[in-house]
Amino acid sequence: MFEVRRWWAKGLLQLIATLLVLPYLFPLIAMVQGSLAGDGWANYRDVLQVPGFFRFFLNSALIAAGVIVLVYVVTMLAAYGFAKLHIRFREVYFWMLLACLTLPEVVLLTPLFTTTQAVGLFNTYWAVILPLAALQVPFAVLLTRNFIHGLPDEMFEAARVDGANSFRGFIHLVIPLTRPIAAAVLIFTLIGAWNDYLMPLVFLQSQDMQTITLVPQFFVGEFSNDQTKILASAVLTAIPEIVAYLCLQGLFERGLSAGAIK
Amino acid sequence: MTVSTSERLTRAVGSTSRPRGRRLQASGLPWILPALVLGVGLIYYCIGYTVYISGLNWDGASPDPLSVGFKNYLNISHDPVFWKAVWHTAIFFVVTFVVQTALGVIFAVIMHSRIKLAMLYKVIIFVPVVLAPAIMAPVFRQIFAANGQFNSVLSHLGLGFLAQPWIGQESTSLPVIMAITIWQWTGLTFVLYYAAMSQIDQTYIEAARIDGAGNLRVLWSIIWPNLRGTTVSLGILSAIGALKTFDVPWLVTIAGPNNSTQFLGTYIYQMTIQLAHVGYGAALSIILLVVALVMAIILQVVGREKADR
Repeated sequence: MFEVRRWWAKGLLQLIATLLVLPYLFPLIAMVQGSLAGDGWANYRDVLQVPGFFRFFLNSALIAAGVIVLVYVVTMLAAYGFAKLHIRFREVYFWMLLACLTLPEVVLLTPLFTTTQAVGLFNTYWAVILPLAALQVPFAVLLTRNFIHGLPDEMFEAARVDGANSFRGFIHLVIPLTRPIAAAVLIFTLIGAWNDYLMPLVFLQSQDMQTITLVPQFFVGEFSNDQTKILASAVLTAIPEIVAYLCLQGLFERGLSAGAIK
Repeated sequence: MTVSTSERLTRAVGSTSRPRGRRLQASGLPWILPALVLGVGLIYYCIGYTVYISGLNWDGASPDPLSVGFKNYLNISHDPVFWKAVWHTAIFFVVTFVVQTALGVIFAVIMHSRIKLAMLYKVIIFVPVVLAPAIMAPVFRQIFAANGQFNSVLSHLGLGFLAQPWIGQESTSLPVIMAITIWQWTGLTFVLYYAAMSQIDQTYIEAARIDGAGNLRVLWSIIWPNLRGTTVSLGILSAIGALKTFDVPWLVTIAGPNNSTQFLGTYIYQMTIQLAHVGYGAALSIILLVVALVMAIILQVVGREKADR
């Protein structure tokens, strides 16, 4: 965008960029540095030796997988219905769904608390998976519907003329063609589910079911507020997220910008 | 004459064939039903339930709570902590939105300008987006503590006189929460602006340059107006995000000291879970929900108008 030809202007731009980026790096450096203070690498050894440390990762993975599967199936079906099928009062349903986009999850706490206890879902993975999926569905449907809307009607007409019913059309046209936007939905849902703090905090009481977002809190109890070990646990829980991002970098960026570009 | 008959004929055929085509096609309702049950069902059920609770004086456990009508709402209107939380949300939204937009645009322009290490810089800015605030919270508590790294950086830069207990005092705790939020979300703002900028027609920019426009002039008169759609989307996102704020103020400052980082989300949590004023918390929830809805509608309408102009 900017044209810089002179060497000093190039240097100046580089300098500005570096100075602006440094504050973003600073907390990450402080985290690693803090985790190595005191006992050094022994902090990591102590954290890894805590029984059940890997259980947190497994629980987060289970919950994220559950939310992703649920959101994907429900979203694909609904987006196809909203974009290409005839539904009476379609817009009304759609706006009802969109209104859920504004909902803060803290509003759900009390009703979910009493309801999950009444139906015996309290302290199960479902108590976290269902509300998290419900909160992700509206945005996922919005994105996917817009995407399917852009696919030519003639394609679906042709499939119907060839004798395919809406279900075959869905399996053979919608599923393969929506792969780019499905990647976006996957990334959004993954970040949302993996990073969520409030739902596991309230609905998962057993130690062996808790997620990685509750790790710092667990270690405050475990190491009686030894900051260095808490930071070591923060580094260890951050690593999978950073690795996942680096491996799927293109997917993340394309996925996140898919919603904003028309 | 013949033309008009044939016209009438096609119109007649068209008008009869279309509904018949529709009738052949089965209703799509079963397709959207799972999403409606999960999304709308669960959420609207919870909202309805919350509306009911908001009329009670309930501790969350007693079997027969007392119905108090609109008393909870009335009490909220006189609650100084509630108004503090509203005020914090408003400042928080304005500051984080303006700073993130400015930084996002600047980063996007710089990264589009063929600088060295652009790849590395992009990764560094974006990594905070994928990190859970809950995991980073202890890190930030450490950084902004009185003996933390932020103060030691200040003293290394010869600004030691600025050192202070950033999260331990009312005057600086809210700015720290805003700074953490900006740190976390600039990556997303940047990626969206970066993508939007790649879609700007380069010929406009070249034409402007031939007419003698400098870099800043191009940024202000061509690039920025072309980003309006993205800015409106980000405005809506950060407004709703501000109303939903919970993790960072709760985990870094526990909404304190002295309510100085109290937000609606943290206040609802304190009231409902910690103090067991469940009815009061529910009334707060409903107010939060109404504000979020009204805000989204206003921004949507204003944004559309601006984009149409």
